[in-house]
Amino acid sequence: MSDLDRAIAQLRACRPIPEAEVRELCHKARELLIEEGNVVTVNAPVTICGDIHGQFHDLMELFRVGGDVPDTNYLFMGDFVDRGFYSLETFLLLLCLKVRYPDRMTLIRGNHESRQITTVYGFYDECLRKYGSANVWRYCCDVFDYLALGAIVLGASNTLPPADGEPMSSLNGDDVEIEVRNSDGQVLSRFLRQQRDTDRRIGGHGGGAVTPNGTAAMTNGVTATPPSSTGGPSSSPPTLTGPPGSGASSASGGSLGNPAGAVLCVHGGLSPLIDKVDKIRLLDRKQEVPHEGAMCDLLWSDPDEIDGWGLSPRGAGFLFGADIVKVFNHRNDLSLIARAHQLVMEGFKEMFDASIVTVWSAPNYCYRCGNVAALLELSEDESGWGVLARSNGEVGRSDGGMGAAVAAAAAAAAGQRGLLMDGGLLGYRNGPARRYRVFQAAPQDSRGVPAKKPVADYFL
Amino acid sequence: MSAPSIPNLLSLRSGAASGRGRGTGPGGPARRGPPGSRPGPTHDATIQATDTDAAVSRLSAVDLGYLDDPFARLFVQGPATRRLPIINRGTYTRTTAIDALVDRFLATTDPDRPRQIVSLGAGTDTRCMRLLTSPHRNHRNLAYHEIDFPAIMARKQALIATTPSLRAILAPPVPLSPTAWHAPSLDPAHGNSLNLHGLDLRTLTPSSPPLPNLDLTAPTLLLSECCLCYLPLPSSSPAPPAPTPLSSTSPPRPPLPPTPPPPSPILSHFTTHLPSPTPLSLIIYEPILPHDPFGRTMTTNLAARGIVMPTLSIYPTAAAQEARVRAAGFAEARVRTVDEIWEGWVDAKERERADGLEGLDEIEEWRLLAGHYVVVWGWRKIQGGFGCGRGRGMEWRRRWGDGM
Repeated sequence: MSDLDRAIAQLRACRPIPEAEVRELCHKARELLIEEGNVVTVNAPVTICGDIHGQFHDLMELFRVGGDVPDTNYLFMGDFVDRGFYSLETFLLLLCLKVRYPDRMTLIRGNHESRQITTVYGFYDECLRKYGSANVWRYCCDVFDYLALGAIVLGASNTLPPADGEPMSSLNGDDVEIEVRNSDGQVLSRFLRQQRDTDRRIGGHGGGAVTPNGTAAMTNGVTATPPSSTGGPSSSPPTLTGPPGSGASSASGGSLGNPAGAVLCVHGGLSPLIDKVDKIRLLDRKQEVPHEGAMCDLLWSDPDEIDGWGLSPRGAGFLFGADIVKVFNHRNDLSLIARAHQLVMEGFKEMFDASIVTVWSAPNYCYRCGNVAALLELSEDESGWGVLARSNGEVGRSDGGMGAAVAAAAAAAAGQRGLLMDGGLLGYRNGPARRYRVFQAAPQDSRGVPAKKPVADYFL
Repeated sequence: MSAPSIPNLLSLRSGAASGRGRGTGPGGPARRGPPGSRPGPTHDATIQATDTDAAVSRLSAVDLGYLDDPFARLFVQGPATRRLPIINRGTYTRTTAIDALVDRFLATTDPDRPRQIVSLGAGTDTRCMRLLTSPHRNHRNLAYHEIDFPAIMARKQALIATTPSLRAILAPPVPLSPTAWHAPSLDPAHGNSLNLHGLDLRTLTPSSPPLPNLDLTAPTLLLSECCLCYLPLPSSSPAPPAPTPLSSTSPPRPPLPPTPPPPSPILSHFTTHLPSPTPLSLIIYEPILPHDPFGRTMTTNLAARGIVMPTLSIYPTAAAQEARVRAAGFAEARVRTVDEIWEGWVDAKERERADGLEGLDEIEEWRLLAGHYVVVWGWRKIQGGFGCGRGRGMEWRRRWGDGM
């Protein structure tokens, strides 16, 4: 067993590793991350996760629900630290997994991966408490500076493959665009592609938020929803059309064998200074998160029901409306922006005709909020990208440069097509099929070690 | 970049960040039960410890510059604990909201005649000190009455008697009874005084005698800042349902429309002893919405600490809280959530100042938490402006009812 595997085992047990090992780990991680671009290219299939915030036991639950590393290809959209009691173990474990399986773990930077924020929100104090000095905090902060600012997911399918262990079956020829499952894999709701617009109009959800049938059941603290209680389309057993990926033969609004369009992943959102993904690539990211500017905005901004840009109540970044997202997605040949940063009680929230989604992966945030968490699975389109070598998960992220070149070409191609393409400003009608898995906070009694009793503050 | 070189936008005013913990009080919540009582947290001791929590939060907000309160330090033992920004903002908002309402009370009553404030479960609250020393011309002729357990009031009077900064503003407390003290302000121009009443609030009923030194005809403001919520409800009201554990597999029970219980005997005590037309007003600050996911988690988390709030299930909404105040004999009532107060009462410039102290990156969480607390206030209709200057009846109504 290598030192790294031993460290992983120790961290999985929620036990910190010695300071010297942290230093070495952070050094290795920096060497690895420095080779990554500001925007990492990731090939589907990939499981996209939002904020974790030091909720270590809930991260273990996430791995249980989403599959372990390296079996599942993960993309974490930042905010690993602060607020929870185990920021240290959480971040170091993710970092170990990154170093061990660099092509199966993508970590991008959140606004809490910052010296300033961690001194206010807990990570600094936690390091001090657990090591007696700020050294480990400094090592980690130096790694933060090297984390990528975003990721582009290529090759996502616009149909969903059967979930693990399920037979392929027919769903009357309809494509499932959105599927929501609980932590036991049971289907809570499905949205078919043809029904989507109608459903949204009927549902009248503000901002087009997907609040599936199962939501009420999910958010009431029920761990296992009996299949019988998931009415409507979700009451039928999981069925799909044909072999996975067959939808790739349908009309494609994408380019370069990327039928579902690319997905941009970023912690916060867009910036008025960034109109092209390529401009993100030009930033000098290896620094503390600035108080303003493009890098700050990417980590701090939020979508909102406004026109254009607005001031953010957070005091950093901006608010941006549907028009901004749709123009950006069109210009960059994107079908979807996946971001985190905002607590969503249902774990995920699609907005603006599904042009942007918030994914939140910290259940019962701060041991106080009572929310469920979610992760987003994008499956692999097997028609156009099958020729790409599948990574074996070991060291040596080989396709970073190539992927970036492809994405740049895609963006260029999109620019040439102008605004007259299919779908116009509404973006892709054939965005990637999305499978959300929602999960609750890890039960207290499942923790191997006596967890520090969470004491959430209230106004008393 | 090393810690000391971090720009101070989001760092503390009070020097380097080292050595500060978060979220835990100094040595944990101090037990403040009477000496010789059983070890192990009785419910009374647990509720009394919430006052320690509040005092630590107050000092945190003061140290960071949210609030100006020279007395906050006196009531916290050991090193200060820095609270998270969301808690500091909550402390700030509730304090300034109640200050604003107290100011309205004082502005709408005649400063040349006695007025009084009765603070229920006052604990180590410093509002009395701030008011009694305020240079504001309206802050005079004020008798401030605080009620809490005898041990707590005894400690407070001892602190007043021995702390130089308090000795400078208040005369040494004089016993009114074995568990009650009176301390006039040393500034005769103020005409202010502090009265400490050590008693168990549960013994206050319409038939119990009025507090010593309470003026039964002076305009009076009752204040319950997270106090009545801890007290048992009148026996004729239904028992609150046990908190639903999060792991429950039962579907959420839609909360039954609560049968309005009879008014709290404590409130009845005051409405009986200070009958109309004595101007009587009430401010209550406490949590609401126990039935949504955040509220269920709150109920469970607090229950795990031994804290139960019977009012939460009986007055589960802002509207129910308002109705409660009306039913208690206050014809006019208003209610705002802490979130609404932050957005609506704190002016933009001040919000910007407060936000700039730490930077608050917990917007969604803030809206959740602050949406689960209300300030509800009510007042009797004034007939003929009793106890007020001419025309103050209308002024009273206008100021209390509008704008906020």
